[in-house]
Amino acid sequence: MAMDKKIIKMLEEIVGEEYVSTRPDVLLTYSQTASMAVKPVIPDAVVRPANAAQVSQILALANKNKIPVTPRSGGSSLQGEAIPKPGGIVVEVLRLETIELFEDLRSVTVGAGVTYGALDKFLAKHDLFLPVYPESSLICTVAGNVSVNGAGPGSSLYGSIAEMVLGLEVVLPDGTIIQTGSEANPNAPGPFIRYAFGPDLTGLFIGSCGSFGIITKVSMKTYKRVKYFDYNMYGFEEVEEAEQFLVEIKQNEINGLFTSIYSGEVLDLFMDMLSEELGFPPFEHSPRTITMTIGGIREDIVESDAKLAREICEKLGGRVLNVREMPEQEWQGRLWNFARASYAHGWHWRTLYHHQTPTNSHRSVEIIEDMMEKYKFLGHTAGFQTGHSSMNMYPHLYFDPQDKEEEQKIVKAHGEIAKNLFRSGAVPFKLAEFWKDAIEDMDSYMAFLKLIKSTIDPNNIMNLGVLGGI
Amino acid sequence: MAEIDFEELIENLLQCRRCGLCRNAVYEDRGFSGICPVWKNTSGFETSFMRGRIQVALALLDGTLEKTPENAEALFTCTLCGSCTEICAAEFNPSECLEQVRAVLSDIPNDVRDKIAKKIMEYDNPYEESKEIKRDWVKEVGFEVPSTGEVLYYTGCTAGIRLPKTAVSAAKVLKAAGIDFAVLEEEPCCGSVMLRTGKAEDAKKNAEKLGEVIENSGARRIVVTCAGCLKTLREDFPKLGIELPEILHVTEMLQETIQKKNLNLKTQGKTIKVTYHDPCHLSRVAGVYDEPREIIKAIPGVELIEMETNREAAMCCGAGGGLRSYDAELSKKMAADRVKSALKIDAEMIVTACPFCETNLSAGAKLIDSSIRVVDVVDLLAESLK
Repeated sequence: MAMDKKIIKMLEEIVGEEYVSTRPDVLLTYSQTASMAVKPVIPDAVVRPANAAQVSQILALANKNKIPVTPRSGGSSLQGEAIPKPGGIVVEVLRLETIELFEDLRSVTVGAGVTYGALDKFLAKHDLFLPVYPESSLICTVAGNVSVNGAGPGSSLYGSIAEMVLGLEVVLPDGTIIQTGSEANPNAPGPFIRYAFGPDLTGLFIGSCGSFGIITKVSMKTYKRVKYFDYNMYGFEEVEEAEQFLVEIKQNEINGLFTSIYSGEVLDLFMDMLSEELGFPPFEHSPRTITMTIGGIREDIVESDAKLAREICEKLGGRVLNVREMPEQEWQGRLWNFARASYAHGWHWRTLYHHQTPTNSHRSVEIIEDMMEKYKFLGHTAGFQTGHSSMNMYPHLYFDPQDKEEEQKIVKAHGEIAKNLFRSGAVPFKLAEFWKDAIEDMDSYMAFLKLIKSTIDPNNIMNLGVLGGI
Repeated sequence: MAEIDFEELIENLLQCRRCGLCRNAVYEDRGFSGICPVWKNTSGFETSFMRGRIQVALALLDGTLEKTPENAEALFTCTLCGSCTEICAAEFNPSECLEQVRAVLSDIPNDVRDKIAKKIMEYDNPYEESKEIKRDWVKEVGFEVPSTGEVLYYTGCTAGIRLPKTAVSAAKVLKAAGIDFAVLEEEPCCGSVMLRTGKAEDAKKNAEKLGEVIENSGARRIVVTCAGCLKTLREDFPKLGIELPEILHVTEMLQETIQKKNLNLKTQGKTIKVTYHDPCHLSRVAGVYDEPREIIKAIPGVELIEMETNREAAMCCGAGGGLRSYDAELSKKMAADRVKSALKIDAEMIVTACPFCETNLSAGAKLIDSSIRVVDVVDLLAESLK
């Protein structure tokens, strides 16, 4: 049933007629995102507000009329985070494009429509950067990535995107606009500390997938752009040696900006696809190969770190491969190469991003391999360090989009992988809907989460079901 | 356009993983500062850039979406500029696919598309002008131009009818470069717009007619000033099974002359700052980036400065793909946006290498009350001839 015309009229009054659409072709294009093998759902309306005040009015209207709302920015999310609900409104925030730099505070505040690519260009003019780059950086928004708690190149040193957040402007489901972090004080000169005024309200919204409100601005840390690099690869015959290397890199505070681990099969796949395009020389890899970009703003520290990394590798029985091209491309091409690697092979895929500990990362590989054997599909997983002692693992499960049977097989395997990963000790970045049937023995946690949700959103309008089915 | 393999087309469209790079990716390393000029100059819904267009195309093709002119709008509000193809990380050519979708879905009513094709078939040009006037500009050049010869200057409809000064300039420059050339007595349209908008059958008939005229002319090389004609004759005609002699854009043909400094060029007086707008079909399609720039740089008293997006990452002027006819207001708005890019760098003149781009950029300048001069590179060169 189409949305009440009076509601549409009111939406038009809020954002202007040209920024509201109920056209079938437009609604169709908002029925899905970059998430594959997820059933599309046609909303009743799409609105494109220009600022937080308009978002506030939209949510107040939706709340009053109990209309489901799906927040959306770049539409590049991969785990079903922005699929609309029947009868609902999609609130697309790409028009919120402001950028405000606080150079002395080492921070920047961006509107919810600002992409990493746009921000990187802006910050580069000031010799600064936001040092965590999700793999969809060129198109995903910083706010969207905060709402799904992403990670990527840079995370090995700086952690997930959550670690970069200093404060948020959020519109709650009833239309109230709140500010978290130091900027909650209207007299503050800008964002300079996140943990202000007690409980970490900022953290409540990070990774919440828009279930508690719509983030309209994010304040992020900025750092001086890294100037000196060492690129190398480290090969290990035994998994345990490679994983111990990852632990010791951290224990010795080696500044690995981006440290990835690949099994031989995955490396073969990447090399087959892209070595020529990206100019990788042929090299002999090991059953477990680690690529690492060490980076810093001081050359002496980078040189010292690189020397120590080589020593640790050899002490553990590994082999320093002295191949720089692959890690160099991983870092220098970080805005593009991961997108390219994700699509060059032609398959569609589902993913199941999660964190493991370094010494447990082989479990993710084993689980994927077991499921590939059981369900007979192609796939892989690799991972990269994400901060203090975790690894971001990113399984890809490939399927042919024209083979519906295969697609269903992948969906089924996906569910079983989630369960097995959870049992192996893995944790998801955020409780995307994919994980709702996988988590066990977390009843009190889930009950508390539901209490928060029902308190903030008593009419249950915000992005229903996305946060672990809540 | 060659025969379309429907299954292959679907397979290609499904290569789109909906990542959205084709919307507004900013990638400084490769010069991109936004991708789709339609998204940028409209309300910005998903249907206004390639990701949404592909979803609409798939839905129209599989029947999920009813085949109505309104539902097919997303297929036609695109200039096929290829900026999305340039950034796309997947293994397909989105703009080429969209052009094929237009042909496959040609049963969806579209008055604008049908009227242009009808005009071309009837008048040999899309401007409903008598075919005889297309050669009138020759009277202005001041020397005899034969109608047959080894080198044929294929004028194109826009230069021949709407911007004859460009045709005159091209003729003067070719003459000054010592290149003898001919101009057809009656020159049929290349049919570019029919190919771009999905009128495949009409386009083929028209191409066969033009192919025959060119064959009869005895030409061994063809020079064009229009980027659209270049793509059509060089790329599309062979796919239609029509073999033509070598096709060159005038900027390519003049390369040797420019490199050897064989033209006597006078200074423009005080140095003027000009910027170059890359026509999509000359640059992204044909790979001609340096030749026009070399010509500009060879002109005394001219300083070439680049807009924020240029070369492979250049924003389209909004004229192509049938958009100028389908939605003139949007097309001009896009041109105005491009003009603003030139004004932002304090350019005093926009130079391009396609009369269709020139026409639209001029319209864009007018839309924002800008007095910036828009000229073709051959105009600038002709003005500098001693």
